[in-house]
Amino acid sequence: MTKNLRVKTSKFIDETYKVSFKFNGKTYYGFKGDTLASALLANDIHLVARSFKYHRPRGIMTAGSEEPNAIVQLHKNTSRTEPNVRATEIEIYDGLEASSQNCWPSVNFDIGGINNFLSPVLPAGFYYKTFMWPASFWEKYEYFIRKSAGLGKSPSTPDPDIYEHRYIHCDVLIIGAGISGVMAAKVAAKNGFKTLLIEEKNYLGGETIYQDSEHFKINNQTSGSWLDKEINEIKKIKNLEIKTRTSVAAFHGYNFLLARENLTDHLPIEQRNGKTRQRLLKIRAKKVITATGSLERPLIFDNNDRPGILLSSAINKYASLFGVACGEKNILFTNNDSAYETAANLFKKGISIEAIIDNREEIDSKLIKESEKNNIKIYKGYTIVDTYGYKRINKISIMQLSKDGQKVVGSKILIPCDCLGISGGWTPSVHLFTQSGGKLKFRDNDQVFIPNTYPSDQISIGSCNGDFTLDEILSNISKTLKEFLGINKTGYENLEVQTSFNKSKRNIWLLPSDKIVGKTKSFVDFQNDATAKDIKLALREGFRSIEHVKRYTTTGMGTDQGKLGNMHALGIISEISGSKMGELGTTTFRPPYTPLTFGTIVGRNVGEYFDVYRKTPMHDWHVKNKAKFENVGQWKRAWYYPKNNESMHDAVQRESKAARDSAGILDASTLGKIDIQGTDASEFLNRVYTNAWSKLDIGKCRYGLMLNEDGMVYDDGVTTRLNENHYIMTTTTGGAATVLGKLEDYLQTEWPELDVYLTSVTDHYATISVCGPKSKKIISQVIPNLDLSDDNFPHMSFKDTKINEIKCRVMRISFTGEQSYEINVQANYGKSVWEKCMKAGKEFNITPYGTETMHLLRAEKGFIIVGQDTDATMTPIDLQMNWIVSKKKYDFIGKRSLYRSDTMRDDRKQLVGLLTENPDEILEEGAQIVANFNKSPVEMLGHVTSSYYSPNLKKSIALGFVRGGKNMMGQKLIIPMENKKINVTVADPVFLDKENKRLNA
Amino acid sequence: MLNYSNPITEQKSYSGLQLKEINPIMKLIVRGKKREFLSAIGQSLNLLLPNEPNTSTRTDKLTALWLSPDEWMIYSNETSNLDNNDYDIENILNKKISKTNLGAITNVTDQFVLINLKGDKIYDLFETGSPFNFNKFRNKVGSVTQTILAKIDVIIQNTNQNEVNLFVRRSFSQHLFSWMNDSASRL
Repeated sequence: MTKNLRVKTSKFIDETYKVSFKFNGKTYYGFKGDTLASALLANDIHLVARSFKYHRPRGIMTAGSEEPNAIVQLHKNTSRTEPNVRATEIEIYDGLEASSQNCWPSVNFDIGGINNFLSPVLPAGFYYKTFMWPASFWEKYEYFIRKSAGLGKSPSTPDPDIYEHRYIHCDVLIIGAGISGVMAAKVAAKNGFKTLLIEEKNYLGGETIYQDSEHFKINNQTSGSWLDKEINEIKKIKNLEIKTRTSVAAFHGYNFLLARENLTDHLPIEQRNGKTRQRLLKIRAKKVITATGSLERPLIFDNNDRPGILLSSAINKYASLFGVACGEKNILFTNNDSAYETAANLFKKGISIEAIIDNREEIDSKLIKESEKNNIKIYKGYTIVDTYGYKRINKISIMQLSKDGQKVVGSKILIPCDCLGISGGWTPSVHLFTQSGGKLKFRDNDQVFIPNTYPSDQISIGSCNGDFTLDEILSNISKTLKEFLGINKTGYENLEVQTSFNKSKRNIWLLPSDKIVGKTKSFVDFQNDATAKDIKLALREGFRSIEHVKRYTTTGMGTDQGKLGNMHALGIISEISGSKMGELGTTTFRPPYTPLTFGTIVGRNVGEYFDVYRKTPMHDWHVKNKAKFENVGQWKRAWYYPKNNESMHDAVQRESKAARDSAGILDASTLGKIDIQGTDASEFLNRVYTNAWSKLDIGKCRYGLMLNEDGMVYDDGVTTRLNENHYIMTTTTGGAATVLGKLEDYLQTEWPELDVYLTSVTDHYATISVCGPKSKKIISQVIPNLDLSDDNFPHMSFKDTKINEIKCRVMRISFTGEQSYEINVQANYGKSVWEKCMKAGKEFNITPYGTETMHLLRAEKGFIIVGQDTDATMTPIDLQMNWIVSKKKYDFIGKRSLYRSDTMRDDRKQLVGLLTENPDEILEEGAQIVANFNKSPVEMLGHVTSSYYSPNLKKSIALGFVRGGKNMMGQKLIIPMENKKINVTVADPVFLDKENKRLNA
Repeated sequence: MLNYSNPITEQKSYSGLQLKEINPIMKLIVRGKKREFLSAIGQSLNLLLPNEPNTSTRTDKLTALWLSPDEWMIYSNETSNLDNNDYDIENILNKKISKTNLGAITNVTDQFVLINLKGDKIYDLFETGSPFNFNKFRNKVGSVTQTILAKIDVIIQNTNQNEVNLFVRRSFSQHLFSWMNDSASRL
């Protein structure tokens, strides 16, 4: 039988809108506005999870993102499933399905619960110690450990949701919309700052908004209603953007922050399609105001983790905001006045309080008096020593504390209950502040870390700055904001504040018990099951640094990052080691503050938008003609054009044969093109290429090789002299951007005296390369008025011409070894020119070929590909290209490096051709080359860089690098493969037409 | 006659946002450092090249964008003829600048695709893919920025309240346009 613990209507809950949801397969009802946690509590469900290590039953403990226990799996076995969702954060919607994690077969009966009884033999470091030996057994242990490790289950199908990024630039960013944040937002926005206010909850006003009590008043109104009016006012301000359901994940240096905005997680699944689920906000703020509030501390005593034990402030919130009683017999346990505020609110809602246990002896405040007036029994100077009840707390035992608080005295009193609220004071949420590089200081009187030095233009205000009470917040905020924003007035100068809160607190990190520590289970980190005993063990074993204790005990390493218990871990260490907490410091707070989904991080960079791709002007034609594409740099290049389901090998054989026998056509638009102008253009080329340029005639083209300063080949390509002071350089496809960047860098920093200007024109031109014995005939049909005779238009020259009225440039250059013409035309006419060439070439069997055939054709001719045959460790000499290195030039980039002893060695790896003994055997690119198997270890002489079957030569050909290869012509070598050894002979790297008859035909 | 195939043939419309390519638009990159270079351009075109970074100037026929201390883009405000790519302005500048060694004139008409965006959601779109701070840019007609949008280099000019011209390299343009439409569909 489930009970209904809904006590009184709350204005934050829409009781006219009933929401049905499922938890562990059973249907329950809640109201619109409920979180999963509040709805479960209203149905009297506390047991929602099992703990990580001991599988102890655990209940909802908090009402916010600090929740360590109530983490659930949503929509199990669907593509939208999500593990480790905090029940305290998820808003319920129709059709929500949640289930407990880390339990089998169910949360009520969990086999893993055996660990709880084995716990005496499972101390901190158990896994580290136990599975160390024998070392070879790790592989066997691993399987079982992995199986039992982890909490929820990640989805196994693609995520159907859409995620986005958004860049925001604002003057003032305010994190947290509690009373401090709301006030700061109003002041900033009203003073003309472009302001962004971010709040992780779906409502504004933090904990003050439901503070409805005579004890807390501002300007003679209850603090809640005063704040409500302020909120209504800021919603109307134009230059203030408010984002709720948005959590700042990271606060990086220089006020760069990341936040996750939740857009559809609160909607029924069927309403989410097509909408953005979450957005990653990348925020650059001139000024940041952190108003992240504070978290209530638990108290550490034996068995403080049972379902039904919650933070006192959470019980207050469930009652005041959601109208839910967490129990029918409530007890509060406190060391400060906060619990009395809870007591007053519960009393007002008619929720019974059996007793308040206060560890302070002499206390007095209006709040306490009110509790006494309400006939609530208060045990002053007492502590809880134990709790009872396996799946739900049913009673507690208390004892009187000694004067020094170190032990308990007197006799035990047992008090029955079904809910216990604990209140250990407050911890400022300084996580984001420290992420940004801020340094903390320790305030001794109430034992808190608060912000001390700020690394950027930012400030912390409110309780995250250690101002916990209403009067402290309101008296400081005006002055702080004036100074920070550089303004004269805030409008909050003369607020009248009434508060009944007494600030006294008796802080005891680990409360004493009648049992010895070793026999207690006083949880410090609830999610990772780290107890006070574990921390003491770590100290006994010699760990002193908080960072080491953290890793040894796993304290603070859960998905909640120890938001609740880290301070207690520190406190216990400091008490035992006798060091001051301020000197111990804290562990490092790392982003994200709350977990982020991968989807949010990735945004729209998925599928089609995973990477950028570039298309040539003829791309559509290639698609239409069924080309297969290859990624080259960011380009999509036609790879080969299979006909009638040809394999790649067959297509390439056909294409390369056609290019040599009749005509081939290639889309060469992707090659980088740099326009070079200026009176020093020739000198510039002399300096960037290894060969000489001054004497290149206007109208002529020349191949150039570019080196790095280290003398290694960097790029190559043909450069054409268009005019006295005007060249156009082509670069490799992949190297275009870096070559331009490098050249511009040299011009700006090394040779500013040169009168040279560079402009990229890669995308301006479509480049159509027609090659083969019939290429001249085809070009003459496409451009009838161009004189193609060898005298007028020899190899390595260019002509400006027109096709119809469209200006274009034709270059007679070749990468295939065939007679070849390249038409460069403005890109938007490229497809039309390509089609014209196809039409004119029809009678000559013009065959479109892709990059694979291009690679084969150039390999036949022994032309290198920078990046395939070179790898930034090859000099031109290694490539047997001595002819291109000028001996006369005073200097060029990399020249000096060519004269180092290492680059001049004879036994460097050098480019050679390789011919297989069996002409049909094709070598694998990357295969190693050896000479002798008898020597151990076998000496690796080099490797194969390019390898093809040449249909034109009717044999397999390959290029490779072999140590000292230059002088090994005709020598036999061996290519060892997995199952065989292939015999090869070192050959000239030029396999075809060494005399260039074809080029000049 | 050669057919003209510009990369973006569709015009797209969303609430608060319209996208379309404008073509053919003559575009030139002009580069030079000398004082005579600036005056020769001014005299030849009756156009003052902007010397303030990230701004633009315009006449009836031409617009000039500042790209770097010695680099500008000049583009024609009106579309030119499809059947002919011989541009008078380019010829004049070649004569006055290139031939006299004052600087460099390079035709980049098809290097860049001009996408015109109109509507009050332009900057909402940019915010989904560009790290640039448009706060000042959007309020100053004539502003120019060279930034990235969806990882792609772009030049953006504020031509009017709620109107910009965006220049992207042709090879990236279809990918960018597809990305813009994807993002705009959820604005």
